[in-house]
This record gives sequence, C-alpha cells and structure tokens, in this order.
Amino acid sequence: MPVNNNVATESSKPKFSDLLAHPDVKARWEKVRKYFFLRESTYDMSNRCNIRCDGCYYYEGEKQFAREVSDVEAWRELMRAEKARGITYVVLAGAEQSLVPALLEVCYQEMPLGSIATNGFKKIPESVGYKLHVSVWGNDETSLKIRKAKNLLKKQIENYENDPRAVFVYTFTRDNIDEVNDVTEALVAHNCKLTFNVFSAPVGYDGRLRHDDESLGRTRQTMIGLLRKYPRHVLFSVYNAVAHTHTKGLHDLYRCSYPRQNPSQDIGLGRSFRQYRTDLNWDRSVACCVPDTDCVDCRHYAAGSAVVTARLYRHVNNLDTFKSWLDYVDTYLAVWVMGYEKDDNLCHEIIEPPYAATS
Amino acid sequence: MPASYDIKGIIRRVAEIIIDELKLEDVTADTFSPDMDLVDELGIDSMDLATIALVLQDEYRITIDEDDYPTLKTIRLISEYIKEKLPVRH
Repeated sequence: MPVNNNVATESSKPKFSDLLAHPDVKARWEKVRKYFFLRESTYDMSNRCNIRCDGCYYYEGEKQFAREVSDVEAWRELMRAEKARGITYVVLAGAEQSLVPALLEVCYQEMPLGSIATNGFKKIPESVGYKLHVSVWGNDETSLKIRKAKNLLKKQIENYENDPRAVFVYTFTRDNIDEVNDVTEALVAHNCKLTFNVFSAPVGYDGRLRHDDESLGRTRQTMIGLLRKYPRHVLFSVYNAVAHTHTKGLHDLYRCSYPRQNPSQDIGLGRSFRQYRTDLNWDRSVACCVPDTDCVDCRHYAAGSAVVTARLYRHVNNLDTFKSWLDYVDTYLAVWVMGYEKDDNLCHEIIEPPYAATS
Repeated sequence: MPASYDIKGIIRRVAEIIIDELKLEDVTADTFSPDMDLVDELGIDSMDLATIALVLQDEYRITIDEDDYPTLKTIRLISEYIKEKLPVRH
C-alpha cells in the first residue's frame, strides 16, 4: 500500500526552495541537473539478429522491412546532422547492434554519449564506449524456450563480466518473476550491474508474457526485495518499481511525451526526438523509444527514463515525492550514462505517482 | 520579495533568474534581449524551462501550469504571463 497520495493543494505545496533546503536533496538535485542537457534520439542500425525472441519489439510493424544502410560514411553524416540539430545522446536500438561494429565505431566517434541495446551474445568491441544494455529475459532454460538461445546468460556474463559499460536489463514477464532471484545472484557473483524492465506488449500481442494485475504486484515486491538485498548491484529505486508496475501504464500515469503520443513540437521530446529506421528515415507519427509497443501497456524502462524524468513539475508536491523523483533520475542516469555513478536512494517508501488516482 | 511588479522590473528579474539558473556567462540582465526565443535561439530544453518555472513560482508566489510551459518562449512572454497571474495592486 502506498504511504501517501501526494496531490497537494496549491496552498499546501512547499516552495521549491524549501525542498532544496534539505542538504541531501540539494546535493542530489545539483548532481542530476548537470545532465539536463541530454537530448536523445534512437536509431535502428541493422534488421538482422542472431536470435529470435517471442514478443520482440523489433520484428513488429513495418520498421523491420526498411532497407539496411551499412555505409559508414552515411552514418557519420547522419550523426553530424543530428549533433547540428541539438541531439546529444544516441540510443542504438534494433535489431542487434553487435552485428554492425563498424557502424557503432563511427557513431561513437561522432557522438560520445549513448547506449546500445544488445542481446549480449556477441561482444561489442571495448573501443565503443557507450553504455551497453544487455537484455535478460529469464534463466537459461527460459531463454532457450522464448529466445531460442542456448546458455545465453552464461555467454552474456562471459562477455561483460566487470565491464563498466554493461548494465544487464532483466525484463519481467508474467512467467519469469521467480527466476530473477537466481539470475540476480549469478550476475552479482560476477560483479555485473543490473536494472529492471517490465514486459510491455507490442500492439496486437496476446501471448502469455503480457502482465496482469497479479503479476505486476508480484513483480513490484520482487524488485523491491532485490533492491534491498543487492543495493550496490541493482540500479533501481522503490519509485522505479512503483512507476513501472502500477496497474496503469506510463502513458496514463505521466502522459507520454514522445511524438507518437504528443502532438506538440514546441519543446522537449515532441520537438527533438526522432526514431530512425535502418534506412535512415523516420516517421513522426510512430516515433517513440520502443515503437510498436501498445501504449496502454507501456511500462518500458526506456520510456520511463524520459517520461517520468520530464514530469519534474508534478513531483515537487512534497519532500518524499521529490526525493522519489530524484532517485528515479539518479537511477536513469546510472543506467544510461557512461561514468555516472548511482548514489544511495533518498526515499525508501512506496510513493504513489502524483495524479495517479485522477489520470 | 521580487524587486518590482511592473513589467520592466519583472523582465529584468526573469532575465537574472535565467542567467543564474542556466549559468549563462556571455549575457547580463542588461544585454539579454527580452524577445530572444529561448528554445530556438538560446537552446534551452524542457527540463531547463521546468526548473526556471519552479524558481519563478517561488519568486512571485504564483502557479505556472506545466501545460503552459510551451507558450513561455521569451522573457517578455514569461514576464507578461507572470504579470497576469499577480494579484492586482492598487
């Protein structure tokens, strides 16, 4: 149960300066605000993958059929053009980036901040200094079943043990909640950092991985339990768990600011975000961090990193809510930005997202 | 308390707050054009604007709704918005 529901009336709302009068809050605010310059876009680099997973976002919709541009100079030109229009952070997304190392190199040369989503089966060269998000969907038995990949976790750990670039991203489905305990133990034993994602159904998906209220509740409890057990290795906060396992999805809770759900082009993601396909084209009407996700079911960690962070205004209603937001942003930066180190969380209580009852 | 509630005074104070919050070094409250487009010309983004809005809320004890952020594109527009929200003074 949440300890409070924090929609403050205007008269009861503290001044922002009062919140910052707490030294721990002020220090965290100053730490995270240094990264407000980050402006992201995402890029599919290859339409190939070396494994095939049930419920994969990439192989939904039209984007998988785009022509693959493998010319490194075309990518260099794109990166330079992106920098010129103000993009400071690249998310290299689908299908499997480890298959195109030359493109990764050129992106890193032109745009030094970014991250790569990878299944971790093939090691990405150490010269590519981006954060690497290694996707984990359960133990090896489950991976074999839904990803058709043998000994995947073992291989992922071999490739990225002690690698400061790597963050293992465990995606909770309805079926793999209990497996996370053994997987986390194995990752921690090899000094691997991890964070959590929640399976968000692609449009039209009606398979057994989709969450229900019961599985979301169990997922939340499990996440918080592991966060308490392994605070040095689990990059997460209680508020992350709340935001991503709520019965309402991220769009309902926070109003998604990606172009697909946001017609405004005045400022923020609605103005600057693009989702490039492998042919280096993009389409505003479908642009978001994980295209072809069913927005009602979206609890994706990448979406939250932008959507929750953007809602600063809603989280200054009281001290615990602001602390929770700071924990969330501190987590997001530790997961996505090379060299950024997460601090201890400021709030350990379950705080209901602002306006959750009315959204 | 803010130094002045007249529009010129508000414009100056808003400029000072933006300079302070964004740590701008090559502009002063005297040289900051109130009509410069903060997004297009200065390159500020939504998180910067949200921060500035929170500081201005404190300063003038008004509420700036997040839905209004996109309309606050220049110092003059911000100042006029603040002036409208302030209680009428006799």
